[in-house]
Amino acid sequence: MSGLSELDQITRAASGDRAAQAALVNRNMPIIFRVAYRMLQDRAEAEDVTQETFLRAWKALPDWQPKAKFSTWACTVALNLCRDRLRKKKPVLMDELPDRVDTALRPEEALASQQALESIDAKLAALPDRQREALSLCALEGMTNIEAAAAMDVSVRALESLLARARRALRAELAGERE
Amino acid sequence: MTKDLVTIDRVLELIAAYGALPAAWPEDERAAAIEILKADPDRFAAALDEAYALDTFLETEDIPEPSLALSDAILAHAPKAQAKQQSLLGVLGKLIFPQGARWPAGAALASLMMGLVSGYAYASTGVGYDQADAVYYAAFGGDFETDWLGSE
Repeated sequence: MSGLSELDQITRAASGDRAAQAALVNRNMPIIFRVAYRMLQDRAEAEDVTQETFLRAWKALPDWQPKAKFSTWACTVALNLCRDRLRKKKPVLMDELPDRVDTALRPEEALASQQALESIDAKLAALPDRQREALSLCALEGMTNIEAAAAMDVSVRALESLLARARRALRAELAGERE
Repeated sequence: MTKDLVTIDRVLELIAAYGALPAAWPEDERAAAIEILKADPDRFAAALDEAYALDTFLETEDIPEPSLALSDAILAHAPKAQAKQQSLLGVLGKLIFPQGARWPAGAALASLMMGLVSGYAYASTGVGYDQADAVYYAAFGGDFETDWLGSE
């Protein structure tokens, strides 16, 4: 199946060829899952987004136009699904502050929390959404600037600006840690 | 972007956006940027060191694997093949009756087949033309003896 062009593979997948469908899933599912996981920081939610992305792909395949690579198209869909979920998660401003609760952590919880904060995941999660998307597609998934910009629906210049700001923020975080 | 358009500032922008590894830089600017880099390495040393440290840090990312059931769940909703395997008779039927079996076409084919079979049977018996014509006329109500041989 590896000798087939992507368009051939998509055409076969659309007509119900199981091998082509499996190849399409095997090649693209890990990327979509990782991109979704970086955005949502939750494995179950990332899996839901990955599955929903492919459900939309199965519907789109019969009328597929080879304007973009499948992975670029799929990342666009996945990012939009992630944005929807993140928008729903945004904290709602309350009129009154809730009653204070004891937030003191036990020693082992505090250690785990500290380790989590130090991990790269936590630092990526702290970035603004668009910067995280740019870094995820370009630096971590190895997409070209043109593909990543297309997946995010921004210009290449805007993508570069997001990337530079993301990297600057991460460098500042790392420098702060070392001090 | 051509070599002439890649400047020292642009190389610094590339490092800031894409990191220290030229492989990650845009393909159309890479060669020109590397040339500028080689011409004055000290000029870019600090930026490259900083970017390389971050590249290395990003490589330590540890993402969980999706569950094994995920690909099965995805494939369960994939489009199913429409066409089923047809028998040889079905394929022949499709070729002969592309619009489906309809009575007039079926009748015409049946007549044709009967004609062919009768013709073959007649030829193989060696019956003469006269007898065959007599059979024909008898079947369709004609008077063979009168029409063709005349009354003697």
